[in-house]
Amino acid sequence: MVQDEGSSSSVTSSPLHNFSTMPLHASPGGAAAPWLARELRSDERGLCLIHLLLNCAAAAGAGRLDAANAALEHIASLASPDGDAMQRVAAAFAEALARRALRAWPGLCRALLLPRAGPTPAELAAARRHFLDLCPFLRLAGAVANQSVLEAMESEKIVHVVDLGGADATQWLELLHLLAARPEGPPHLRLTAVHEHRDVLTQTAMALTKEAERLDVPFQFNPVVSRLEALDAESLRVKTGEALAVTSSLQLHCLLASDDDSSGKDGCHHHHQSSKGKGGDTNKRQRSPESGVSPSTSRADTFLGALWGLSPKVVVVTEQEASHNAAPLTERFVEALNYYAALFDCLESAAPRGSVERARVERWLLGEEVKNIVACDGTDRRERHERLDRWAARMEGAGFARVPLSYYALLQARRAAQGLGCDGFKVREEKAAFFLCWQDRAIFSVSAWRGRRFD
Amino acid sequence: MAAASSAHLFGLGDAQMQMQMQPPLPQHQHQQAAAPPPPNPAAPAPKKKRNQPGNPTDPDAEVIALSPKTLLATNRFVCEVCNKGFQREQNLQLHRRGHNLPWKLKQKNPKETRRRVYLCPEPTCVHHDPSRALGDLTGIKKHYCRKHGEKKWKCDKCNKRYAVQSDWKAHSKTCGTREHRCDCGTLFSRRDSFITHRAFCDALAQESARMPPIGAGMYGTGGMALGLSGMVASHQLQSFQDPAHSSATTTIGSNPAAQFEHLMQSSTGSPAFRGAQPTSSSSSPFYLGGAEDGHQSQASHTSLLHGNKQAYHGLMQLPEQHQPGSNDGLLNLGFFSGGSGGQDSRLVFPDQFNGAVGGNVRGDGSEHGNSGANNESAAIFSGNLMGNQMASGAGFSSSLYNSSETVAPPQMSATALLQKAAQMGATMSSGNVNSLLRGLGNGGSTLNGRPAGAGGFMAGESSSSRSTSQAENESQFRDLMNSLAASGSGAGTAFSGGFPGMDDSKLSTRDFLGVGGGVMRSMGGAAGLPLRHGAAGIGMGSLDPEMK
Repeated sequence: MVQDEGSSSSVTSSPLHNFSTMPLHASPGGAAAPWLARELRSDERGLCLIHLLLNCAAAAGAGRLDAANAALEHIASLASPDGDAMQRVAAAFAEALARRALRAWPGLCRALLLPRAGPTPAELAAARRHFLDLCPFLRLAGAVANQSVLEAMESEKIVHVVDLGGADATQWLELLHLLAARPEGPPHLRLTAVHEHRDVLTQTAMALTKEAERLDVPFQFNPVVSRLEALDAESLRVKTGEALAVTSSLQLHCLLASDDDSSGKDGCHHHHQSSKGKGGDTNKRQRSPESGVSPSTSRADTFLGALWGLSPKVVVVTEQEASHNAAPLTERFVEALNYYAALFDCLESAAPRGSVERARVERWLLGEEVKNIVACDGTDRRERHERLDRWAARMEGAGFARVPLSYYALLQARRAAQGLGCDGFKVREEKAAFFLCWQDRAIFSVSAWRGRRFD
Repeated sequence: MAAASSAHLFGLGDAQMQMQMQPPLPQHQHQQAAAPPPPNPAAPAPKKKRNQPGNPTDPDAEVIALSPKTLLATNRFVCEVCNKGFQREQNLQLHRRGHNLPWKLKQKNPKETRRRVYLCPEPTCVHHDPSRALGDLTGIKKHYCRKHGEKKWKCDKCNKRYAVQSDWKAHSKTCGTREHRCDCGTLFSRRDSFITHRAFCDALAQESARMPPIGAGMYGTGGMALGLSGMVASHQLQSFQDPAHSSATTTIGSNPAAQFEHLMQSSTGSPAFRGAQPTSSSSSPFYLGGAEDGHQSQASHTSLLHGNKQAYHGLMQLPEQHQPGSNDGLLNLGFFSGGSGGQDSRLVFPDQFNGAVGGNVRGDGSEHGNSGANNESAAIFSGNLMGNQMASGAGFSSSLYNSSETVAPPQMSATALLQKAAQMGATMSSGNVNSLLRGLGNGGSTLNGRPAGAGGFMAGESSSSRSTSQAENESQFRDLMNSLAASGSGAGTAFSGGFPGMDDSKLSTRDFLGVGGGVMRSMGGAAGLPLRHGAAGIGMGSLDPEMK
């Protein structure tokens, strides 16, 4: 079906329009890249996919759904969730783009129950575990966090650690070991964990208390069942003057979700609530690279302010090192393409193609993130990754001062990364924060902050 | 005689006696607490020839041993009225004036007072011996705190702790102010240690720079030699590395070739890094072992560094391959001498070629990722050629590593593909797809600002400066796809060959494979659209977090 996109007769015709119409001439509903004389090599195919993805993103961003559709058709014939890394990336992004395009038809979305087709919590938890196992980034980050906490809590007799979520139980097990091995003996450890689901917390509690008993570390676990956005600092029960450490692993970026409303695009399921005084600035925001922050009162800043009010001794923040919070789709798309390409590459070298675990990570974890970044807007879009410098600005705005991650922690992290036996994982230190990299592409950033000065 | 009086002091331990024996008691009252009986100071000086207490100034000096309580006590003089404490008697007297109490400021009589030297109450301390007594009360207090006291003061910038507040203050003033950083990333506060390190570090850098051509030919034996000597050298490492990895379950490499297994110190028998499902509940020393392990390793790293220099140099060039620019030299040397793989575990890389079933693919993928994205890795991989031959399994390997840039690798990582696409976008000067590719190369963020040529990315506006006609665009796209499809055997010739059909002289050297422009046929004069970035892969603006 050839559709006239209008103004096709103008001299300066839209190239994308040509793009969209041309292949349709050539191949009405063809199967495998019919305009090609032969089967592509993998790198050629990869390059094709990149071209097509970019075209599709541009089209989807501009609302030209037919062009997007045409591109998707070709992508679908080349990409596959079981192929090589580029094919998998393309498949994930293609699905996300398709969902985005479908937003134009809310009826379709709802009839297909689209936003709820995600993984169940159990599947998500499994995918997270597999990710931890296959790619050591988060483990490294957890180790760095533990080391920072350990150093900050030197000679403290009572330690209160608040986990804002994201940390695996193994990280706390390891912290228990580290504390038990302290030369001056273990402190009394209180761990407050915030999580959405109660059963996850219960499981963690059981595992940790058992281990603490075995290690003879006085231990107390306080679960807080809450979403981070709705978290009340009071419920953390922080005693004044106690030594507090806060860790957050890939959690803070969700707080940016209520900041901006969608940049002119309508979310088909949720209406963005308040524009927080930036509503009319769509044009301006499209220009700025990352426009998701209102200078003063954003939910993230409020949260960080509350956190600062608890006077923590150390706050360790692990976040994705990528700018996925730009308002215009195409910017986000390109950024995300590069970022997840690196992650998919990492998985490619970590697991064989038939690996179930890898498939789960790709589909239920990374794929979902990609879908969120590309296809959602407004409060729906929770995966609002930002780079460390922006987080640093936020933290400093809330009153935190940076704590340099110790050289010793860097050595440990590097040693662990090298011990993995797989080239590619690197730990880079910059401005007293760590970047966990895959092949020079920073994937996660870890930084530590402190509240009021402690003498 | 100093000796005699000292003997009285210590031998008797009787306050009364002591008081009597020292008629010219100064105002200062000091409690002569019962220090553990020290060796008889009247004996001639111990084996090391040391000055007598007070020597050279005063052989008659009075040796005083104070108890720890006294030493640590801050306020020894207490006002009986209000119980306020003072460090000095004179201050107390002045304070007593305020209570209208009789006060008397007595001054030390320089003729009558004797010089005092003090002993450290800690029996194991060197200064417990009267011949090593310290001459200053404040000095002995600080000494006791520093050496035998609890470190209560902590610098908030770094992690140094201090027992003496003045030390802590002094350090805080200078902490972080003047730092020297070596290229390898190590930080120094002292200039002299920095210079020393840098000299050593440079030596490593030079040797590693010379490495690849030599190493290429020597891997076969070098690896084995490394393996053997690595075993020897690794004994030292094992003591601290083994606990650290004692139950490493998760992420040790999975396909260790026999000769590398011990090098990797994966004493748990190489649980697979790829695809294996380690139990995540086991205590994972991935988390860097215990604190004491770490501490030990720190110490032994240094010792290894010096102790293994022989081994290090004897291990040929294999360990020197690492690029200092991205390492901390200390750590690497430690590892290399232990043979457990350097900065990027290059040593281990051939494992992936020995690899399992899908090993080819995986190895390729990561290799490509490396070569595409990493300058240093590319250099190293050419040195790793021998490693491939050792592996003897990976067919693609030799072509792969001859030069990552001249051969079209069959399996490129997604990241590498993106970079190539960006380079293509940089060199191809026309067409809608090119503008998109260029946008990809710019990471999108600068694209909006690009002059006309880039238009069409954001909103599909016409890239007016480029495309002239509809037909041309169509043909370009078709040609693009055809060229991709029409490529025959490897090398960039395929790509370049497909393009003659594209528009005229606008296209310059098409560098689809990141060869570096001009290697393949240069198609017409074009535009020096210079190849944006090299294999370092900065073409993706978003790849480099520093680039914004």
